[in-house]
Amino acid sequence: MAIELDQEFPGLRAEWRRCICSDNRCDAGVGERLDTLASRFSGRQAIELRQQQIPAAYRSFYRQIGIDPDLEPTHVEQAALSRLLAGGNRQSDRISDALLLALLETSVPVFAFEAAAVAPPVEIRQALAGELAGGADLPPGTLILADRERALCQLFEQPDVAMAVTGTGAEILLVAVAVPGVSAIASDEALTIAAEAISGS
Amino acid sequence: MAALLIDYAAAGDLLDEPTLELSERAARRSLLDQIGQLDRLLSAAVCEAFPDRLELPELMPRGPRVQSLGELELLRDGLVGSLCEARSALAAREQERALAHELLTEMLRDPAKHRRLRITQRELGVGGCGVWSVAPRLGPMGRLMGWWRVKLSSGCPLAT
Repeated sequence: MAIELDQEFPGLRAEWRRCICSDNRCDAGVGERLDTLASRFSGRQAIELRQQQIPAAYRSFYRQIGIDPDLEPTHVEQAALSRLLAGGNRQSDRISDALLLALLETSVPVFAFEAAAVAPPVEIRQALAGELAGGADLPPGTLILADRERALCQLFEQPDVAMAVTGTGAEILLVAVAVPGVSAIASDEALTIAAEAISGS
Repeated sequence: MAALLIDYAAAGDLLDEPTLELSERAARRSLLDQIGQLDRLLSAAVCEAFPDRLELPELMPRGPRVQSLGELELLRDGLVGSLCEARSALAAREQERALAHELLTEMLRDPAKHRRLRITQRELGVGGCGVWSVAPRLGPMGRLMGWWRVKLSSGCPLAT
């Protein structure tokens, strides 16, 4: 029986938006917000994060597609764990900080691609036989992010270097991966937060 | 949790394809819902166990991809097993805490009889790092005279 993703997982979707990164240096305002968010996570709060609605939705989805979220934590749980281990939310560059901010605020993971390397629309589908992503063979049926022409990356993985954002002045394509149980408001908010933090507006 | 068994070999002779498809879709939906619900129950058990850590069996990674019906059943069964283990561990912990509380009551009632006993706050399931123990009143004099008392140490040199 052929499995239709939208019937199997109603609400599973990729939403995307373009923005311009005029300056890839860290932004002080974003840094302050990350510091404020860091104060929300104690050990207990990081553990109890899994019971919140959106993180729980990602955990359930991970299980349903064969990923053990206790071995490969969801993005928001991984971010909480990193915050605990590092003692705070460490800044690296404007784009990474913006994606982290969107993730911590909404629990929805957002990925950044070089817009010139991607031909929208971006969708979630199953890999076909012989498809590659990041130079590696994708087993047929693997869930991937794909554009109009090819596979971009395995679902929930970071984009391949060839499609990663190169630097200042680049037009960026932000992609939010929303699973069943995540509202359109949450995914839209994640994209908005990331886009505003990157463009500095 | 009801197990969902569909014998496709037998069903194939009796059902036409659209009906089989509907049956499989319903089975998949049911299993996916069960897996989601089991994960939430497991998460609740992990949170209840905090700050203790539950040792749960690791489930074989198979993704990320759409799982077959058999794989979904295995996932569901694995989660049921993990949940049972988690609940057993929590029940055992509750038993140990109840025992620790009983011992503490006995210790308070008759300190002299429990001179070597130490009970931590953690064993009682109470927050903090203190330890209940029996100490002699007035030092060596108390030890000689058999004057014992129960003491709760803070356990933390910086505690105020």
